[in-house]
Amino acid sequence: MVCMMEGTMLLGNLEKSARKAAAWLVNKTPIRNIRDWGIAFSLWPVHFTTACCGAEFAASAAPRFDTERFGFLPFIASRQCNLLFIEGTLTKKMGEAAIWVYEQMPEPKFVIAMGACGIDGGIFWNSYNIVRPMDILPVSVFIPGCPPRPEAVAQAIIMLQRKIRKGEMVKYEF
Amino acid sequence: MTVEERILELLIGPQHPASGHMRLVAKIDGDIVVELRPNIGYVHRSVEKLAEVKKYLHIIPLVERPSLADTTANNLAYVMALEKLLGIEAPPRAQYLRTLLAEINRIHSHLYGLGIHGVMIGSSTAYMWCFGDREPFIEIAQELTGARLTYSYIIPGGVRRDLPQGFEDRVEKVLRYLENRMKDYFDIYFNNPVTRARLEGVGVLTKEDAIKLGVTGPNLRASGVPYDVRKIEPYAAYPELDFEVVTREEGDALARVFVRIGEIQESMKIIRQVLKNIPEGPIFHEKYVKMVPPKLREYMKETGEVKFPGTFANLRVPAGEAISRVEGGRGEVVFYLISDGKSLSPYRMRMVTPSFRNVILFEHLTKGHRVADIPAIYGSLDYFPPEADR
Ligand code: SF4
Repeated sequence: MVCMMEGTMLLGNLEKSARKAAAWLVNKTPIRNIRDWGIAFSLWPVHFTTACCGAEFAASAAPRFDTERFGFLPFIASRQCNLLFIEGTLTKKMGEAAIWVYEQMPEPKFVIAMGACGIDGGIFWNSYNIVRPMDILPVSVFIPGCPPRPEAVAQAIIMLQRKIRKGEMVKYEF
Repeated sequence: MTVEERILELLIGPQHPASGHMRLVAKIDGDIVVELRPNIGYVHRSVEKLAEVKKYLHIIPLVERPSLADTTANNLAYVMALEKLLGIEAPPRAQYLRTLLAEINRIHSHLYGLGIHGVMIGSSTAYMWCFGDREPFIEIAQELTGARLTYSYIIPGGVRRDLPQGFEDRVEKVLRYLENRMKDYFDIYFNNPVTRARLEGVGVLTKEDAIKLGVTGPNLRASGVPYDVRKIEPYAAYPELDFEVVTREEGDALARVFVRIGEIQESMKIIRQVLKNIPEGPIFHEKYVKMVPPKLREYMKETGEVKFPGTFANLRVPAGEAISRVEGGRGEVVFYLISDGKSLSPYRMRMVTPSFRNVILFEHLTKGHRVADIPAIYGSLDYFPPEADR
């Protein structure tokens, strides 16, 4: 592609170069910090209840613990969310749905697994119908407990925010 | 166009704000639901099968997990069946404490259901208020038992802890708080024209159908059937307490909501009676207290915390069968235990949960309603999928 600009002639793929330049800029310090700050405070989990930990998850979004103050707002559609919250046991049937939901979410996306069941099956470790979330999804933060208290949910969100703001989690590549 | 061509199949869930842990398969003609079939089993974790390889005492936390918002009902029902097999009965004070926790649990389980129903029909205020007002009850239950939701408070032969000091005053404060709040609830939510329009006359369940379909709990009582296990087959301390069975005649979604409200008020009445009439005495069966070493027995007396005797680790249960029924927040919970007398685990444990008995209503109630009524009906049933799938 050839492009003329005030007497200079540019050769090459303009679109590709522009994308490269944008990636370079977004990964550069001041903008990167702003970007990570923005992502850290707009973690929107998708409405996807997988098991009984959902009761405590609902309590943590309610007035007393109010996780919305971290910019954490449970949202309806997977295509507008960037956080998948595995609330407890993932059965085989639900695991399939979890992968679908995860694949529909836009990048950058994160996964938090809640409860002992989210780590290793918890009390249902020898059940014939469960899968471990870490086997099928890239989990960033685990919350131990059965069920974890809402404070633990809040702490997991803060941990994820710190991880994001350190710049480890999000990479823009073109 | 023929009718068959006009009919669309709509999949709601499992990732949907109004689906919970299940999928609803709806056939719709325009905006009218022709058929709605729930696709359950998304949370089946084989509780009954696992009970066959766990020891008797380890099953208590296991049976609590399926219905996390209403754990005491399952806990109590299982322990009652186990006590029947062991041939023991808890002392009167323990019976009262069991009733106390069951009623606290009923209140916060109903508030949970009302909150979820609120958010399903688009009233975030109801969700925020119900969940906020649920916290004080969780707090007092936590003070009594040490956990927010999974109490495991009821053990064979008694309960784990005695009343803490000054508990009555704090409970009274919480009860008075909710009583004052109830008026606001009616002003903002229950008598709100939007709520009324969404719920009144929606999903009507007639008395005959309710009996024929085997519905249970508040959903049955909202259709005018005064059936409550606490009255029909009293257990724990209920025979000595004075309370009423709340019923409504209409059978629609609003009636189901009002039955829950009425039950919250009745539960508060029961809690007050329990705290007034609670007898003094032991909270753990003598037979087991004797097995505890003397030093620990002293400790038990001082702190009011029960220490398990050694036999509890490998509890052996005589051969036999036992069945128990309990009225939980969502309805009747039935536990059936078979012991072969040799192994350390039950031969078979069967749990019948109220949610599973109510799931039939999805298909029955939604026919002919609009798609927007599906969440209104779903929420009013207070259906909890993990409990139904077990
Ligand atoms: S960790 Fe406990 S509360 Fe959470 S899903 Fe598993 S069993 Fe349920």
